[in-house]
Amino acid sequence: MILDRLTTSVADFTRGTGWEPKPEGLCRGEICVPAPGALDDDTVNVKIAAERLGMPIVESPEHGVFALGPATLGGKALTTATAPDPEFVTYDGSPFRLSSLRGKKVVFVAWASY
Amino acid sequence: MVVTVALDVNPDHARPWSEAARPTHPCIVDTTHASGAAFGFSNIPMAVWIDEHGVLVRPAEAASIERSPLRDMDVPEGLPENLTAMLKAVKEIPDDGEAYRAAILDWVAHGSASRFVLSPDEVVARSQPRNDDEARAAAAFELGDHLRRTVGPDAAVPFWREAHRLHPLNLTYKRQAWTLVTTAPDATENDLMQGPNEVYDTNLLDDVLGRGGFGAFIVRPQL
Repeated sequence: MILDRLTTSVADFTRGTGWEPKPEGLCRGEICVPAPGALDDDTVNVKIAAERLGMPIVESPEHGVFALGPATLGGKALTTATAPDPEFVTYDGSPFRLSSLRGKKVVFVAWASY
Repeated sequence: MVVTVALDVNPDHARPWSEAARPTHPCIVDTTHASGAAFGFSNIPMAVWIDEHGVLVRPAEAASIERSPLRDMDVPEGLPENLTAMLKAVKEIPDDGEAYRAAILDWVAHGSASRFVLSPDEVVARSQPRNDDEARAAAAFELGDHLRRTVGPDAAVPFWREAHRLHPLNLTYKRQAWTLVTTAPDATENDLMQGPNEVYDTNLLDDVLGRGGFGAFIVRPQL
């Protein structure tokens, strides 16, 4: 997730990380991680949230921009079997989410031109 | 249903290949490699299985579904040394294609009763390790890509170098970077050799040979 400051809205944090800030903590699937101080009304303190979820922050001071990495909670690429649902685009630029295919089995295949 | 995602920073690089296949399934493009971090894709082809309820029943793993003809090809004599070495390395790639294809068909036929379906705990446990270095590599790659788009290609390089250093077994970070610097601007296809270059410390052939072959980068399905 790309940021120009270390605070963001709940909606943007959820969209960017898949973790939804709630009063009880940072939640994804069946997992909620307590994160006192991370949420103030609609504002997420990214530094606190990142520490709780084990998300590294990489910065380019020259360009005033940060990247928030994925969670390392549990030491695995997945913290839950609930499928991530980031927004992708089709080749014509239309938005696409895997959740639009609920009710069907999906084999989600990564490939590349290189 | 099959959904394909191209991990390509430029959709125009992937589009011709996708269109040539005349797909009848959804085809999407992931220009930031976000799906790599989200699902654990570190090479291609890899796949996950998602059931009707949106639950992963197999984590990211190598997803070839047929034996490549390159595996059985005799390497012609007289080819350039680096091409010969590459073809020999390709012939040694572990081949689980037929078994993986059969597993998919078994899941289609038997659903949650398929012996290849894993419990949620097994899916998480079998997903790829992710330590701080690997997560930091994902952030560095994303930041490099952001700067490539907003500042220029050179701005990506230090961050992509760092991503390569932090997660040396992630071949998508490397191949994406290499191919952008070794493919001529007017080329109609990517440089698949991704050969030595003056921008990054490594290149495809040397990296593969240095790690004992492509197998070092492949997450073989445990079927």
